[in-house]
Amino acid sequence: MTRVWMPCGHYHQDYARDQGWWQTPVIKGKMILLLLVVFVGFPLFLDEYWLSVAIMIGYTALGALGVQLLIGYAGLITLGHAAFIAVGAYTSTILILRFPWPEFFVNWGLAYPISIVIAAIVAGLWSVLFGLPSARVKGFYLILTTMAAQFITVDFILTQYVSQIGGRGQAFSLPPGTIKIGPWFIDSDVKVYLLMIILLTLMIMLMANLLRTRVGRAWVAIRDNDIAAETLGINIVWYKLLNFFVAGFIGGIAGAFWIANLAALSPEHFPWFLSLWLVGVILIGGAGIDGAIFGSIFMVVVMELLQIAAIPLSDYWPKLMINFAFIKEMAFGLAICAFLIYEPRGLSYRWWQAKNYFNLWPFSY
Amino acid sequence: MELFFMTFTTGIMVGGIYALVALGWVLIYKCSGVLNLAMGELTLIGAYVTIYFYLMGIPFIVCIFFTLLIGIVLGILVERIFLDRLIGEPILAIIMVTVGLSFFFKGLVGFVWGTDTRVFTPAIFSLKPFTIGFLKISTVYFWSFVLAIVLFLVFVAFFKYTRWGLSMQATADDETAALSLGVSARFVYAASWAIAFMAAGVGGALLGNINGVNISIGYLGLLVLPAVVLGGLNSIPGAIVGGLIIGVLQNFAGTYLDAFFPGGVKEIFPFAFMAVFLLFMPYGLWGWVKIERM
Repeated sequence: MTRVWMPCGHYHQDYARDQGWWQTPVIKGKMILLLLVVFVGFPLFLDEYWLSVAIMIGYTALGALGVQLLIGYAGLITLGHAAFIAVGAYTSTILILRFPWPEFFVNWGLAYPISIVIAAIVAGLWSVLFGLPSARVKGFYLILTTMAAQFITVDFILTQYVSQIGGRGQAFSLPPGTIKIGPWFIDSDVKVYLLMIILLTLMIMLMANLLRTRVGRAWVAIRDNDIAAETLGINIVWYKLLNFFVAGFIGGIAGAFWIANLAALSPEHFPWFLSLWLVGVILIGGAGIDGAIFGSIFMVVVMELLQIAAIPLSDYWPKLMINFAFIKEMAFGLAICAFLIYEPRGLSYRWWQAKNYFNLWPFSY
Repeated sequence: MELFFMTFTTGIMVGGIYALVALGWVLIYKCSGVLNLAMGELTLIGAYVTIYFYLMGIPFIVCIFFTLLIGIVLGILVERIFLDRLIGEPILAIIMVTVGLSFFFKGLVGFVWGTDTRVFTPAIFSLKPFTIGFLKISTVYFWSFVLAIVLFLVFVAFFKYTRWGLSMQATADDETAALSLGVSARFVYAASWAIAFMAAGVGGALLGNINGVNISIGYLGLLVLPAVVLGGLNSIPGAIVGGLIIGVLQNFAGTYLDAFFPGGVKEIFPFAFMAVFLLFMPYGLWGWVKIERM
């Protein structure tokens, strides 16, 4: 169901066009409009609050893309993705704060962009380390390994050792002005938003392009039947590890972006809850890259609406606001269960159905 | 040397509780093939329910009985409402439903009872350790261990000698054959969830006796996963041995490795051990090796 059916009267004349991103002029126009809205419209017209919601959506989507790559495209179920995001965030922070950058780099604002790239690579390699067992085990056993990755990385290495660097105990904080890209300081919500949307677009492009190459087809083959894939001559260990690397890479980007948003960092930002949250996001979103995006939008917006609804009620029942984190967990748990039982294909399936309906109208058979 | 034996006995005692919880996990997996990640939250619920009744002034044994009762009800409800509809779905769907349930329960417990640590007052077991030979054994650990083992034996006897237990064994062995002999699979699924809830609930109550009841009991319940992996996912003797070994290893790590890696080695060691163990023996000590064909 990756492909939407073409509208009546449109045919592909050559292979290149069949593989194209934008298959008809209408789709091209629609996507350019969408890009205009997210790049120009939102920063201009959204107020501070909804901009911060949009930033959260972007962060969730960056994380969920990596999870989608692992679970949705290679069938490698991960419940430890927050660990890789954390590794990215910590690598970037430590590079910015502790690395002896030459004056030139700091003045030109290159420190943060370079640290993003290095953070992504380190997170990718860390992800490969915990992906190694996938050469031997799969399914439930792999889930346990990724869980171990979460606990070992975040609860042990980061909390007990990495956080002690600098001798300040738990949290790192980035002084204002350290996060600088080129001539711009990332200090307002609009700039954080723009950084987010640029990174997200780049990552979506990376992923979409990878998925139409030999690599992407190999991943899908492994997901569908790994033994059959092996008989077709696909080196499944290599491709699984590559998948872990790319997923960790995207996670690292998400982590490095997170420090720009918050300017502070603590292991508590990457609990096991975040890993499960990301898996929940793609389950609710459904298959494909758009599934990860839809899921992020749905989950973040629903939680915000829940909070908006809880604020007036808390006048009568103050416990509601104090324990809001628990309400969030309950709502998240119920949402996952409800989607798996009643809407197992997720939101992107409905979107696909709607698009097909309009594309095939009036001859829907 | 004394330290060694003390660590060892403490490990065995805690391991007994893990074994009880692991039994519930293995049972669900054997009977219905559900890989349950909500076990930690089931122990959490058990601990909170027990302490809730105990603080009302009800004797501990009666509280345990109430916990068992609530375990049955919750187990059957969960199975009927959520898991029953997902039979035959992919593994990710089933696992994530249990994850969703675990979040729901954790949120519920946190919302109702808050985050403060509660202690069983008055203390149920005397705080003074008693001595066997040269070993000092903490009374709490000892009686928790005894209670865990007694319940364990009750459950095992239930499987071996009662009609319901036999029907559960039959379903676990071969579902189709059991169905053709008139065993109701839906009943067996519900019963396995009820028993798992009961085991986990009592395990939680006992763990709560040792360190007080708070949200982190759920994390202790998660230690059941290394235990079942070690023993093999579908082996009940494996659950016992796995639980005991994880208890012992955890305490040894806390005693001896803490000097080299200060901090939370005790909490993390079972998972690190599991990650390495999976590389070499993914099917555990007595688990069935799956042979895959195309």
